[in-house]
Amino acid sequence: MPGKVISVGGTKAIVDFSGNRMEAQAGLVKVKPGDSVLVHAGCILQVLAQEEADSLSDLMAELQNI
Amino acid sequence: MAHGSGGKETSDLIASIFAKHFNNPILAKMEDSAVIPGCARIAMTTDSFVVKPVFFPGGDIGKIAVCGTVNDLAMSGSTPKYLTCGFILEEGAEFETLERIVSSMAKAAKEANVIIVGGDTKVIEGSGGIYINTAGVGFMDESGFAVSSSLCAEGDAVILSGTLGDHHATILSARMNIENEIKSDCAPLHVMASALAKSGLAIKSMRDVTRGGLATVLHEFAVASKACIQIDEKEIPVNPQVLGLTGILGLDPLYMANEGKMVTVVAKEDAKKALALMRESPYGEKAAIIGSVVSGDQGTLLLHTTTGGTRTLTELYGEGLPRIC
Amino acid sequence: MTDYRTFLGEYDGKPMRIMEVCGTHTAAISHCGIPSLLSPKIELISGPGCPVCVTVTEYIDRLVALSLESNTVVATFGDMIRVPGTSKSLQDARADGAKFRMVYSPLDLIKLAREETDKTFVFAAVGFETTIAVYASLLDELIAQGIRNVKLLTSLKTMPLVIDWVCRSKSGIDGFLAPGHVSVITGSDLFAPIAKEHTIPFAVAGFEGEQILVALYALVKLINAHEGRVMNMYPSVVTAEGNKTAQKLIAKYFESSDAAWRGMGVIPRSGMKLRAEYEAYDAGSENLYSDRGHNAQCRCAKVITGAEKPSACPLFGSVCTPQTPQGACMVSSEGSCHSYFANRRR
Repeated sequence: MPGKVISVGGTKAIVDFSGNRMEAQAGLVKVKPGDSVLVHAGCILQVLAQEEADSLSDLMAELQNI
Repeated sequence: MAHGSGGKETSDLIASIFAKHFNNPILAKMEDSAVIPGCARIAMTTDSFVVKPVFFPGGDIGKIAVCGTVNDLAMSGSTPKYLTCGFILEEGAEFETLERIVSSMAKAAKEANVIIVGGDTKVIEGSGGIYINTAGVGFMDESGFAVSSSLCAEGDAVILSGTLGDHHATILSARMNIENEIKSDCAPLHVMASALAKSGLAIKSMRDVTRGGLATVLHEFAVASKACIQIDEKEIPVNPQVLGLTGILGLDPLYMANEGKMVTVVAKEDAKKALALMRESPYGEKAAIIGSVVSGDQGTLLLHTTTGGTRTLTELYGEGLPRIC
Repeated sequence: MTDYRTFLGEYDGKPMRIMEVCGTHTAAISHCGIPSLLSPKIELISGPGCPVCVTVTEYIDRLVALSLESNTVVATFGDMIRVPGTSKSLQDARADGAKFRMVYSPLDLIKLAREETDKTFVFAAVGFETTIAVYASLLDELIAQGIRNVKLLTSLKTMPLVIDWVCRSKSGIDGFLAPGHVSVITGSDLFAPIAKEHTIPFAVAGFEGEQILVALYALVKLINAHEGRVMNMYPSVVTAEGNKTAQKLIAKYFESSDAAWRGMGVIPRSGMKLRAEYEAYDAGSENLYSDRGHNAQCRCAKVITGAEKPSACPLFGSVCTPQTPQGACMVSSEGSCHSYFANRRR
């Protein structure tokens, strides 16, 4: 589940998951406060992209025609 | 203990803490056993508490020790009356810690309308651990009210008194240094249970939701009643922060422990009234009808998921996670 | 939007077998009740994507031995504790004095190592590409902070070759639900060559019910159209190229090596190990290949390759349960056997 970056300090960030605040390692991807991120075993792996809804509908449209 | 050498001074200090906080005429007699007015039929139970940390948001080991036993008594429809408490204290435990716990127990006992009529303390080698056993007695009335996990019948409604997993989430958060506002839901349910027991409604079974979680309790009902129970994931109240925590740690609220929630199975025609009674009782604001007994394979518990699928739930296997009560 | 739910529920075309290659997908599929939403012609098979489940007994034996050494403490993710080695699990060894701790993240070791400098902390470093990235992050921190008392016992695996192994093994898999988080690191293009070579489609899926359904829909369509390609149905998080920073960091500390997979034997170049210059951080991970079954009748090997369902194992549900697991597939909450048992899947 995605979390929200609250603050960043060096290679660490505080991430909020529906009110649970945890420290996560932030060395694998550039993050800033407000970013929606994917965290795995204490490490931020990726920042969630905003445009996903559009590309998913494109894919579904493509599949319908197969 | 932190002060005394384990001799008379230590026992006197401990006794003074109990006398100060559990102050009541029966205890004050300091006899070998308490002789108290009884009743034709009594409910009895015992439980031991070993949770670490001993203090956590929403409660402490003492509060759970009282509420846990009170709730077990209340679930049979009895009026909880008397408790005893036994302490096993490891050397290194602090008097201040003990006093804080005992004071909390006194407060919980007062709210639950029970008196602590006896107790015992042992000090052993160790590193400061504190363990508590409570045993309790409740009075059964002769109204004929009787609940059992084997009475659930097709059509009956399943009603949960509030949010799942709060206690378990609190302990895990404390252990793992996760910051949140989750509090243990440790609370006495004697008022709620009594309201149901005296309502004249067709209450089939009542159980508090502790270790093993809701799924374990409902699975037991299904097996004992040779019935099929189905619950709806979207109807089950879970605090958003608790849900967030389960997402991070890969947990399931259905298998997490509570210390102040109960589930009841009620005849269909009485469900709305039973729900209203629970919502009006202390700690029942979020009570909800979460499912029903349906036709299906005997001894089966089904979950209708938020995705729209159906999943079979078993009782909790294995130890699961570190001890939380 | 397309009514993929009805499509999947009412599908009446040729029967197909779809494999999810990620333990977290196995768990999510059970959790959401996905099998109950699919036509009986769509069969879901759980594959070798649970890192705990594919760990060989010799690795566990070495881990147990380390936990018994003086001044050594083993740290693991939760599930590892109960996996049986040749005779014992870490949990069993506690009675012999084994010292181990469960942690949420390998990075938790940094604080522990600094507080208890007289002890060596060994992390049971199992996992696929996703977790390998986390171990690489850990090494970065250990070196930056000059911490010397943390080591890794590695059993690191990578996806492409084992999937290729399954494709060649006649398990009859028609399509793959590609691992969501591995793809975040590696990029979804990783699976394109395998898809093309075997003409088997891959759909990258997220972990929510809806995301899995959408990916299954894509797979059924692609399978029927005989299209051997990869479709990324998790575009919010996964890209074609993946996380380049993570890939570079992994390459800095690790190199590919042979790896032993429970029930499949050694698959050359299918794993990773610490590079020679970082040997100081290795706890003796070389040559942990042997896999002597705890219980000779355990069928974990066949289950994780999709050759058999958990219920086909003679021990399933009787001798082997989550309380008395005979093999790794029953111990891990992401293992096929555990998932099937706990959810009464058939």
